[in-house]
Amino acid sequence: MNTPKITVRDLKLWYGDNEALHGIDVDFAEKQVTALIGPSGCGKSTLLRCMNRMNDRIPGCRIEGHILLDGDDIYAPEVDVVQLRTHVGMVFQKPNPFPKSIYENVAYAPRIHGLAENSSDMDIIVETALRKASIWNEVKDKLNAPGTALSGGQQQRLCIARTIAVKPNIILMDEPCSALDPIATAKIEELIDELKEEFTIIMVTHSMQQAARISDHTAFFYMGDIIEFGETGTIFTQPAIQQTEDYITGRFG
Amino acid sequence: MPQHTIKRFDEELDKLKELVLSMGGLVERSIGHAVKSMLEQDKKLANKTVDRDKAINALEVQCDEMTRDILVRRQPAAGDLRFIMGIIKVVTDLERMGDLAAGVAEGTLRSLEHTPKNFSNLDIMGEKVQRQVNRTLDALSRGDTELAMTVIEKDERIDILYKRMYREMLTYMIEDPRDITASIILSNVAKNLERISDHATNIAEMVIYIERGHDIRHVDHEAAAKLLSGEEI
Repeated sequence: MNTPKITVRDLKLWYGDNEALHGIDVDFAEKQVTALIGPSGCGKSTLLRCMNRMNDRIPGCRIEGHILLDGDDIYAPEVDVVQLRTHVGMVFQKPNPFPKSIYENVAYAPRIHGLAENSSDMDIIVETALRKASIWNEVKDKLNAPGTALSGGQQQRLCIARTIAVKPNIILMDEPCSALDPIATAKIEELIDELKEEFTIIMVTHSMQQAARISDHTAFFYMGDIIEFGETGTIFTQPAIQQTEDYITGRFG
Repeated sequence: MPQHTIKRFDEELDKLKELVLSMGGLVERSIGHAVKSMLEQDKKLANKTVDRDKAINALEVQCDEMTRDILVRRQPAAGDLRFIMGIIKVVTDLERMGDLAAGVAEGTLRSLEHTPKNFSNLDIMGEKVQRQVNRTLDALSRGDTELAMTVIEKDERIDILYKRMYREMLTYMIEDPRDITASIILSNVAKNLERISDHATNIAEMVIYIERGHDIRHVDHEAAAKLLSGEEI
C-alpha cells in the first residue's frame, strides 16, 4: 500500500447506547480507491461519515479513537470542521444539486472559502472542476441553466464537480451510483478512475461488482467491525475469512 | 459451506459438477476399454471406444454452455469463481483425455494387422493411469486436496513406465525391422496413456486451486506441499 492518507485507529462510535462501530483499525492509501462493502447497518456509511465529521451533528452520537488525516487527528479540539470538509469532500447517494444554476452550484463553495479573487478566477475554477468531473462538454453552453434540470447522472457529476471545486484531498462517496442507470454508472466509474490520479477516494457501495471493478482495496464490514481488508483482487478471488467469502458469494443470511 | 441466498445458484453449481463428473466417468471408461481392446485385440470394443468420444465431446459443449450461463447470470466471486475457472480447465483436460483414449483404440484397430510381439507393461500402465484418473475425479468430487497431491506425486511413476516401454519397443525395432510398425503403434499408445496421466495431474492442480486458491501449476512438489501447509514460498 502507498502511504496512508487516512489512518483510523480503534474507532468506536455510539448512537446513544448502541455501539455502532467496535474499534475500527484501517489505513486508506493515498490516491487509491477503497471500497467499503457489507450488509445494511454494518457501519460502513457510519465510518465514511466519521471521516469528515458528518456525525457531529447527530444527537447522542459519541466517538472514541482516532482518525488521522496526514498524521493529524481530525477530532482534535482545534480542528475547524468547515475547513476539514474542504479537504474531505463528500458525494451522496442521491444527486443533490442546489436549486441554483450549474455555474453557481460549482462556484458556491469556492466563493465561501474565498478561493477566487475575481470573476475570471472563478470562471477558471468552475470550468476546471466541471472538466475534471467529465461534464464540461455537456454543460458549457448552458451554465446558467438550473442544476436540477440535468439528468440524474449529469446531476451526480455536477455534485462531484461541486465537491472537487474546493480542491479536497479526499472524496468520500456514499453509494454514488445507486440512483443511476447503467450508462450513467459507467460514466461515474470511469470518472472515479480518472479522479484517483489526484484524489484519495473512499466509497461505500452495495454493488459487489462495482467494488470489484473500480476499487484498489476493499474492506468488508459486518456488525460494526471490519472483518477483512485487503487488495480487491484478493478479496474477490481468495478471501481469507469465511464470512467475507459467504458475503461476496451471496451466501449470507 | 452455507447455501447461497439464491438457491437456484446452488442447483446450477451442483448440476454443473454432476455433469463434469459424468463426463469424467465416460472418459474413465473409455481409457479402460481402449487399453482392454488393445490387450485383447478386440475390434468391436475398439470401435465402441472411438465412437464414445463423440459423447464426451458433446458433454464438453454442454458443460461449457452451463459455465457460460452461470458466468453471465451469477457473476461468481471467490470460491464460486475459482470453481468455475477450474471447471473450464478441467473440462478441456477431460476432452483431451477422451481424444487420447480414442487414439489408443485407433491404435488397436491399426495393430490388428500388425500384431505386437508382446504388450510389454501396457496392462500395468493402463491400470495405473486409470487409477490416476479415478483418483483425480474423486479428488474433484470431494474437494480432497490431499488426494489431488497424491495424483500429482504419482505422475512421475507413469513417466518412468512410459520411458521403459519406449526403450523396450526400440530394442524390438532394432532386433527385427518387421516389428517396427507394431512397436511404433504400441509406443504411441503408451505415449497417449502417459499424456492422459498428465491431464489427470492438471485436473488435480485445479482441485487445489478450486479448494485452496493456490496456483501450483508451475511449482515443484516440495513448494506445492509447503503452499498447502500454509507456508510462504
